[in-house]
Amino acid sequence: MSGKTATAPTTYSPSPTQKKRQPIFKDVDWIRPDGRGFHQCRPAFLRTGAVNAAAGSAYAEFGNTKVIVSVFGPRESKKAMMYSDIGRLNCNVSYTTFATPVRGQGSDHKEFSSMLHKALEGAIILESFPKTTVDVFALVLESGGSDLPVVISCASLALADAGIMMYDLVTSVSVSCLGANLVIDPISEEESYQDGSLLITCMPSRNEVTQLTLTGEWSTPKIHEAVELCLDACSKLGDVMRSCLKEAASASQE
Amino acid sequence: MGSSGASGDLSGEMEVDAFRRLFPLRFYERHLLESVRPDARPLGRARDTTVALGAVATADGSAMAKIGCTTMLAAIKLEVMTPPLDSSDEGSVAIDFHMPPICSPIVRPGRPAEVAPVVSKQLSDAIISSGMINLKELSLVSGKAAWMAYLDIYCLDADGALFDAALLAAVAAFSHLQIPAVTVNDDGRVVIMSGENEEGKLLKDPVNKEKRKLTLTCIPFSLTCILHKNYILADPTAEEESVMETPVTVVLDSSSRLVSLYKPGGPVLAYMSAVQDCVALTRQRVKELQKILSDAISDMEVD
Repeated sequence: MSGKTATAPTTYSPSPTQKKRQPIFKDVDWIRPDGRGFHQCRPAFLRTGAVNAAAGSAYAEFGNTKVIVSVFGPRESKKAMMYSDIGRLNCNVSYTTFATPVRGQGSDHKEFSSMLHKALEGAIILESFPKTTVDVFALVLESGGSDLPVVISCASLALADAGIMMYDLVTSVSVSCLGANLVIDPISEEESYQDGSLLITCMPSRNEVTQLTLTGEWSTPKIHEAVELCLDACSKLGDVMRSCLKEAASASQE
Repeated sequence: MGSSGASGDLSGEMEVDAFRRLFPLRFYERHLLESVRPDARPLGRARDTTVALGAVATADGSAMAKIGCTTMLAAIKLEVMTPPLDSSDEGSVAIDFHMPPICSPIVRPGRPAEVAPVVSKQLSDAIISSGMINLKELSLVSGKAAWMAYLDIYCLDADGALFDAALLAAVAAFSHLQIPAVTVNDDGRVVIMSGENEEGKLLKDPVNKEKRKLTLTCIPFSLTCILHKNYILADPTAEEESVMETPVTVVLDSSSRLVSLYKPGGPVLAYMSAVQDCVALTRQRVKELQKILSDAISDMEVD
């Protein structure tokens, strides 16, 4: 086999190239590809304790977006690190080769890794584990749109499962602007045609925003509307995550 | 836990968990004397095993296998290639085993686990040399186009016996693999036939008329055992692997023929009788695994 891979032949995917369906999003009335309402999130399936080898872990499935996050530590920091009074947070997000419709390289996603770090940093009580590091590793098993918000929410659930002290759970939701409409929790197809996107990461019970990313073309009233939508969805997601943790805790007591 | 004897060793001064961490080998040997393991298994028994097919929607074939806590997710994506001249009517299979940082505290980003490439190579050897797949079935147009099956196996949770779980996930993914119906378009590229380009389809001859599955013969299954003194422990956990360091992996095919036997050194020098015992354990295990796989396939067909 190794002899053959040395002269690896070039391959291509037989899937048809993406069809032009953009015009549908420009109308005022159109139906989302998965039949949801514009302001309706995908049903969320969350479970803690997915990976036994980790200190804490969580699995999240929002429609076709499937993510596993493992938390390790607090453990010894890398030797090259300087002394630090407070704990360190280390984040990494990677994709499987089969996460996307066309086979990818399955490499690390540097941008998401740093976004995840920034989204969580403010919520974790780093003073509670001085001199050590907490590692948060995420693997996107299947990418179905809104990957980063799902990773962030799942990571905070995994941190809670690992017993890392936080001010509050962190929840994240994004909104895409498609023509005249705002759609919440967009799938990949909607994301690829969006005019703009807004991602909010917040701590719902403290009503504090840890991260806000706004890209593309927006008008001020649209931004207000989108922020309201996101914050509302974030607090609902927070309730779902809380009940998931409660279930896991009551199950382990029995 | 049958570990009350272990703590009694130090007249109850030390808790079981502390004893387990400080003197792991003695902890295990106390168990082995009683012919039981800390997770209450007899020495020769493997952990509970499950297989679920079709776990990944974006792949052409996929499966998730769990042996105890060890979890593997395998997915196959088919792409088209021009076959090399010396095997113009054969497709090809590329197998890769990944250990992402989520699976174990040992793996860190940018520093891949040393075992990953080893398992990867063992897997391709076992799958290719067992003759499970007839590469001719992966041919499309002789000399022009053939399938390249990219099999990627991800370890989601590493708790010992990685190769066994990975091989099980791999063969399950192949048994779930469906080759799509394709046709050649005007540019000479192979494209998937979908219901939507109906009018174009009539002009061209389909290369592969309908979805089909591969016929798998001689499916390989494996069992890893740990040798320690005179004991043979089947299907070790990660902890057992770290304490006792002589693994023997036996791969047999579905008609109990030996595909490969792998004993990568270790402090225990095995007598032939020990190796034969490993093979006998594997033979039993193959029957179990065959049933688990065929149950998973029939569950899939009912849905």
